[in-house]
Amino acid sequence: MSLERGPYALGERVRILDLDKPGHVRTPMYVREKVGVIERYCGDFENPEERAYGRVGRERIRLYRVRLRQRDLWPDYEGPDKDTVEIEIYDHWLRPASGGD
Amino acid sequence: MAERLITDLGGLPAGAIPREEYHMVFWEKQMIATFNLLWDKGIFNLDEFRRMVESIDAELYKTSNFYRRRLDGMIDLLVEKGLLDPAELEARTQRILQEGTRDHVP
Amino acid sequence: MDHEHDGHEHHEHGRGLPPHPTREDDDVALTYGEARYLALKSLLIEKGLVTADEIRRRLEINERGNPQQGARMVARAWVDPAFKARMLADAKEAAKELGLEVTEAKLVAMENTPACHNLIVCTLCSCYPRSLLGEPPAWYVSKAYRSRAVREPRKVLREFGLDIPETVEVRVHDSNADLRYIVLPMRPAGTEGLSEEELAALVTRDCLVGAAVPRSPNA
Repeated sequence: MSLERGPYALGERVRILDLDKPGHVRTPMYVREKVGVIERYCGDFENPEERAYGRVGRERIRLYRVRLRQRDLWPDYEGPDKDTVEIEIYDHWLRPASGGD
Repeated sequence: MAERLITDLGGLPAGAIPREEYHMVFWEKQMIATFNLLWDKGIFNLDEFRRMVESIDAELYKTSNFYRRRLDGMIDLLVEKGLLDPAELEARTQRILQEGTRDHVP
Repeated sequence: MDHEHDGHEHHEHGRGLPPHPTREDDDVALTYGEARYLALKSLLIEKGLVTADEIRRRLEINERGNPQQGARMVARAWVDPAFKARMLADAKEAAKELGLEVTEAKLVAMENTPACHNLIVCTLCSCYPRSLLGEPPAWYVSKAYRSRAVREPRKVLREFGLDIPETVEVRVHDSNADLRYIVLPMRPAGTEGLSEEELAALVTRDCLVGAAVPRSPNA
């Protein structure tokens, strides 16, 4: 899966997907369908969605940190526009943000 | 639209953050060490444990605390893997409670 | 939701006994939780999955984790710019220089600057660099903190006594997957004459998560 969608460049705009994936996942709801930028590539890690079922030692996938603006997460955010959240997202949960994003 | 995991709390409304310090008692430290040891030995991994915590009853999760979640999640996982018999564990637990002492427990 | 006593067992300790013994606990009645753990431990040992000695050794390793270890790294970074650069590049490697072992896969140091204040949270569970800093504080694992830190960090920080000016970015790091984080706070003014050890003493546990900032002893 990692080969299909990565790698993303630093600063590239990405959309975090809202995959309808049952079971154990590490992408919280509050960032789904939100657009941010790639803050860094963190390395390749085993997929927690596999590991959670005891399937270890499989293919590693790319992990990125994505920077999101608080204002984009919560329209009524209390602080200034510059405030941000950074979060780790595996690359099958990302796609490039197109012009409309 | 996927369903929200019970552990997925980010952004939900919540009240005051508890500020009292908590000092682990001895059994809690031992329990964490046992957890880490089973993990070191490859008997389970962190994501399996996270999945067990996610699968506990939603109402129970709200009132559960960190240490009991760790203990109960570890037990559920060992039961799932066939390494522990829940009836045997419960019988042993009741015996220890009845005796009310830690002395003869290894 | 107001079940905010995550990490606490006051309700189990009832019976008029002291709620927070820190030692062998022989003055406290057995709770169901403790009895269940003792039963588990004895069964694991009988089945040969672990030995009592292995548990003891692992406990010793866990007890090495301590906020003072993080404070030492911060103080070194304040006095040694080259170390600071290495810590920001790879905090796990930098820890080794001080003889500290980080067993988590990666440790990332987030530097506070006059333009940016960092705050760490794990919204999904309670990820924390335990091998370096020990068990996280009760507030960090509480459901209220996990819920609110990403939604209203400035309000949370104000409750912790930290009022971040609007000119400064508040950057929240959700420790949701494989990385673990430590905040590298700013060195307070008026600490020029302090030794590295004295500097480390200014760095409290909460400073390493971004919920506090080190204060000058003369302030």
